[in-house]
Amino acid sequence: MSEQTAGAGPSRLKTFVTAWTTGWDWRRLILVALVLMLVYQVVVPFGMIAWTSFKTARPGDASFLDLDFTLANYVRAFGTPRFWSATWSTLAFSTASTFVAFTIGAFLAWVIERTNTPLARLVGILLVGRIIIPGILITISWILIASPNIGLLNHLGLWLTGVRNIFNVYSFWGMVWVHSIEMVPLTYLLLAAAFQAMDPSLEEASTMTGAGVWRTLRRISMPLALPAAGAAVLLLFITTIETFEVPLLMGGRAGIRVYATEIFFNTSRTPTDWGISATYAMAMTVMSIILLVVYFRLIRHSERYQTITGKGYRPRRIDLGRWRYVTSALSLLMVFIITGVPFLMMLYVSFLPVYLPPSMRAFQSMSLVNYTAMLEDPAEALIPMWNSTLLGLGTATVVVLVVSAIAYFVHKTKIPGRKALDFLAFSSIALPSVVLGAAFLWFYLLVPIPVIGTLTIIGLAYLTKYMPFALRFVSSSMVQIHSELEEAAQVAGVPWRKNFFRIFLPLLKPGLLAAWFWVMVHAYRELTVALMLARSQNRTASVVIYYLWENGSFMQLSAFGVLIFILLIALVTASHFISKRYGVKEQY
Amino acid sequence: MIRVENLRKSFETKSETVHAIDGVSFEVAAGEMVTLLGPSGCGKTTTLRCVAGLERPTGGRIVVGDQAVVNVEKGVFVPAHLRHLGMVFQSYAIWPHMTVFENVAYALEGRKISKADARKLTMEALETVQLAGHADRPAPRLSGGQQQRVAIARAIVGKPQALLFDEPLSNLDAKLRVEMRTELRRLQKQIGLTSIYVTHDQAEALAISDWIIVMKDGKIVEYGRPTQIYRYPANAFTAQFIGSTNLIPGAVRSVDGEHVGVDTAYGVLVGIDKTKRVRNGDKVWLSIRPEDLASDAAGVNRIDGHLDFAIFAGAAVEAEVACGDLKMFCLLGRDAPMTPGEPISLSFGPDVAVVLPQD
Repeated sequence: MSEQTAGAGPSRLKTFVTAWTTGWDWRRLILVALVLMLVYQVVVPFGMIAWTSFKTARPGDASFLDLDFTLANYVRAFGTPRFWSATWSTLAFSTASTFVAFTIGAFLAWVIERTNTPLARLVGILLVGRIIIPGILITISWILIASPNIGLLNHLGLWLTGVRNIFNVYSFWGMVWVHSIEMVPLTYLLLAAAFQAMDPSLEEASTMTGAGVWRTLRRISMPLALPAAGAAVLLLFITTIETFEVPLLMGGRAGIRVYATEIFFNTSRTPTDWGISATYAMAMTVMSIILLVVYFRLIRHSERYQTITGKGYRPRRIDLGRWRYVTSALSLLMVFIITGVPFLMMLYVSFLPVYLPPSMRAFQSMSLVNYTAMLEDPAEALIPMWNSTLLGLGTATVVVLVVSAIAYFVHKTKIPGRKALDFLAFSSIALPSVVLGAAFLWFYLLVPIPVIGTLTIIGLAYLTKYMPFALRFVSSSMVQIHSELEEAAQVAGVPWRKNFFRIFLPLLKPGLLAAWFWVMVHAYRELTVALMLARSQNRTASVVIYYLWENGSFMQLSAFGVLIFILLIALVTASHFISKRYGVKEQY
Repeated sequence: MIRVENLRKSFETKSETVHAIDGVSFEVAAGEMVTLLGPSGCGKTTTLRCVAGLERPTGGRIVVGDQAVVNVEKGVFVPAHLRHLGMVFQSYAIWPHMTVFENVAYALEGRKISKADARKLTMEALETVQLAGHADRPAPRLSGGQQQRVAIARAIVGKPQALLFDEPLSNLDAKLRVEMRTELRRLQKQIGLTSIYVTHDQAEALAISDWIIVMKDGKIVEYGRPTQIYRYPANAFTAQFIGSTNLIPGAVRSVDGEHVGVDTAYGVLVGIDKTKRVRNGDKVWLSIRPEDLASDAAGVNRIDGHLDFAIFAGAAVEAEVACGDLKMFCLLGRDAPMTPGEPISLSFGPDVAVVLPQD
């Protein structure tokens, strides 16, 4: 309506005034605000990195803002074997981890979603539940399990075979193992959806032709799952490229340096080498962009395969016969290794005043001293936990609000510029965490906004980091809401703001809650960005764990880990309860 | 030959035990086509899936050929892939990553057949369903009807002991469905395969079967030849489910062999009870098919009413006639009166009015 250029003076003014005061154009204003916000949050960090990589001056220098660019940093980086060995390590580490994680995750997803294996649901829950344990704690517990000299497995090995240090977690395959195990729950989630979407009669038809379970799996199920599997593999690969915890804690002693750790050490050590860091960051970002492009191609083509299902579609499970006990035992063992072992190790160590491998002596020495020490020093434990809690809850809430507005514009309006919104909000997925952290740090060193050392800067970086994921959750539930619902409200003369709160939010509830929980848990456990931006006042729980690790305080660290675990479970349960009780009510 | 004896399948839900199949027994003679017909949730598909081996029954026996494939009491359960059955699914279940040829040839894999023989058998099967010319097409590029033919070719290529059809035509559009059911019947006769066919479409069941089994709530309510089930249904459920019918309530007044006099709101009407199970005083229904009602007053039984509503449908006039409290639906001759409100008398012979006990 507002596009109409009305006739003479007074009525024109009136049109203009109503255009900016009625609901329909408030909507336009919000769109502009969102675009500006996204440019600030997404384009500026990208630009910051690119800019710095072409400058020899550092942020803060007077000449940093000059328009003379140089390839000196690239020449310097590409000229050193260190760059190429980091490139090689990044690729090799990612390939191997993806392969291992995919193999285990695919097996578990198949067993849980598509077979009649006993206890499959329990395995699924434990597997997904693992996500709330911070990655750094998993890495550390594996170090306690399999490192030379102190590792539990090596003590066991020595006792059983008399051979010293059979396992060395500080090695390429050690790193691959720990990181793969860390990624299995994600793999499972990625593939479970694909397995659920498959029409079971495709497999039953194979059975009816006389094919047994294994031939059906090899010739029918696996080829059909191929596009989804390809997409999962690429996402795992992208995730591994930017992974930080394992290379940070184990890469040093294993002599394996990847892009992420190179960037971290180059920016956190003095003197900081801005140019080289930015160059590595560019290499890393380009690598993820290429992979993402391939990923989206693959997803587009996969739809051709998925749509072939009949009307009478009921999910059914494959009867494995007696094999189902084998798969049950195997998947329980795996989930024990993935979720149980790290947690039990952490729990065990947290009660020890001095580290000892399990023995009578160790069990007799157990006490709560690590816990009491932690609680007596609030700056060490309680404040970081509070920081993480604030960041988790705050980031999740802001991200979900922003993202639901974006998803609304993109999917439910025809306003020009909405596609740009979608692209901007999603593109930050190509920014690896370590690059994101560096970009935010440098940007706020440059501009006179005093946020360095506060939770605000971490929250801002999290907003950029988690938008793409939350956007997927919310978008997919948004497209399922028919536009007739909104049109009906419009025809009834309801202004759009009311519409948004009364019609959309309640219907979107499941998608919003999923996004909120996902962001909350991930922001709580996040390490990379928080570490890049950490000062003494804004340490998060994960950062404190890293510092405790640096100081060699395993026992305190484990107690801290157990506390975080308990707190997170309480937080998730409480949020779930609150959202159920007081959340937006379903209006059916 | 397939024999199903006292088949049971129950599920435990939180509050109760649901009997999806509750003691079903029937036999399919070699070369015959038996249809399981019933509304959704009657247990017909579950029964078929138990025969296929895709579902594990909780009681009873199933014999295919000379092999007992299920004997719950003795713990016998032959897995589906060892039963040598062919099955056609409702969703076609055509593998989208294979060509037409590969879809069919897959059914011969794992058997000791040379490549050349497998090729020959596959092409024969495709010729049977008239798809030989499409052998190298990617399967998803076929139309619904063609995909269904591929599914049939795949089911028959391995020369199975029996063919199982799970509502194979329900995803096709109406016209194609009628064509395909004729073709299915022709194919089944031509190959001479013992078959079980599941459908909820009564017209399909009538057209395609040697025998029809009507199921309701996990039990068999009636078993018979299509003509017999249509003309002389044994109970009101079957009469209403297969074809359409008019039910007139009444009480038995006199029994004379098969012929029964029934006291109704329209006076005494004479009907037929081939089973000879009704006695004087029983409450019964008289079931009369719409096409058996005539407006020429020639039959033994007569009901007077007013024409309520009529449409000209080409071959006949479809009319609703208000007779007291009841509305009679009838197919009248092309020349029948069509003006609403006109008095009309409907007549029918005693042999088309089936007497069914009320229960």
